[in-house]
Amino acid sequence: MISTILNQYKATASVVGLLAIIILLEVFQVRDAIYPSLLPAFEWIKYSTPIGVIGTTYGSIYATVEAMHLVSMATIGGLVLATDLRLLGVVLKDVPSEVLVNGTYKTFKIALIVAVLTGIFCAAGVADKVYYMQVFWIKMAVLAAGSGFMIFIKQPALSGTPHGELNPWSIRLMAITSILIWFTVAATGRWIGFS
Amino acid sequence: MINELLLQFGQWMEAQQYSQMLVAGYYSYNWVEAIHVLTLMVSIGSLFVIDFRMMGWLLPNVSATTIAHRLHKPMIIGFVIMFITGILLVYAKPVETIQSLWFRIKMILLLLAFINAWIFNARLKAADGTWDNDPVAPKNLRTGALISLVLWCSVVTMGRYIPYDWVDCRNTTNTTILWAAGCVDELNALGG
Repeated sequence: MISTILNQYKATASVVGLLAIIILLEVFQVRDAIYPSLLPAFEWIKYSTPIGVIGTTYGSIYATVEAMHLVSMATIGGLVLATDLRLLGVVLKDVPSEVLVNGTYKTFKIALIVAVLTGIFCAAGVADKVYYMQVFWIKMAVLAAGSGFMIFIKQPALSGTPHGELNPWSIRLMAITSILIWFTVAATGRWIGFS
Repeated sequence: MINELLLQFGQWMEAQQYSQMLVAGYYSYNWVEAIHVLTLMVSIGSLFVIDFRMMGWLLPNVSATTIAHRLHKPMIIGFVIMFITGILLVYAKPVETIQSLWFRIKMILLLLAFINAWIFNARLKAADGTWDNDPVAPKNLRTGALISLVLWCSVVTMGRYIPYDWVDCRNTTNTTILWAAGCVDELNALGG
């Protein structure tokens, strides 16, 4: 009985379980205990790894990688908007939403990988600064949540079943969540530059 | 001559109360800059989807003109917001921006990108629809899409270079760079 229910709501149970773990980690102040021990790792990334040294030594390379990061984020934005605004019935209404969801996913994954790799390079160059920035950690949390949401929830839910058979409000909610997540990632990234 | 006129125009803008208010307010300037960068995701993001489709890299089973026409509106909305915020950013720091080599290259690239977009749209209208459902667009449209991708990536890169001071007026004595960046006072000091 319980296993049948769990199988039916595997994704929901996983999200609830993950949230419960995060709450427990906060309640028992695990994050506060781990946080100080991360500083040496951040300093090591900046001063002892090739990406940290290149990022701090060559400003032109750092700025060019920053531009690549922006271009990959713009690509993610374009793909997310085209897909999610279609799911909301705003644009591309004459194209089946299933075609968009499946057709844009591969390019989305490539853009996400480029954004993450260039983002690691950018963070490495200023690792000892971003360590102290609350907005950096918020960005990392939202990025992890967004990637998990796309890979484990949105894509499996929308790629396997014809959208006509799904609850329209579930589809709309997933589209709104996706837009909010990726624009929050971009906005917090911009705010790191101001902090 | 043109550099002197541009400098005078920049100094006139810088003397205005609203320019000083915009740059003095930490959050006002940062909000404008944040909106300018975030709108990239709408404007250039939509443009990339169209260009990728023309190149055959994305959604090859969807009509190319449908993608181009349906994403045209959000793309234009994005570009309008980006230009308004871009003008405000120049208005906030006019002299510094006008005398930035990267800003000047960015403006030239923007002009080229718009000429390319105009030619691309003309070709799209002129092309008959027989290719519309082909995985890749005809060669002339593919060339336009590729030029568009290169130009817009370069525009973003130049925009990212603007805050860096590698070739600022006070950091170089190369007369060609000083002339190209419009560093009138520094050129006069060097006797150029």
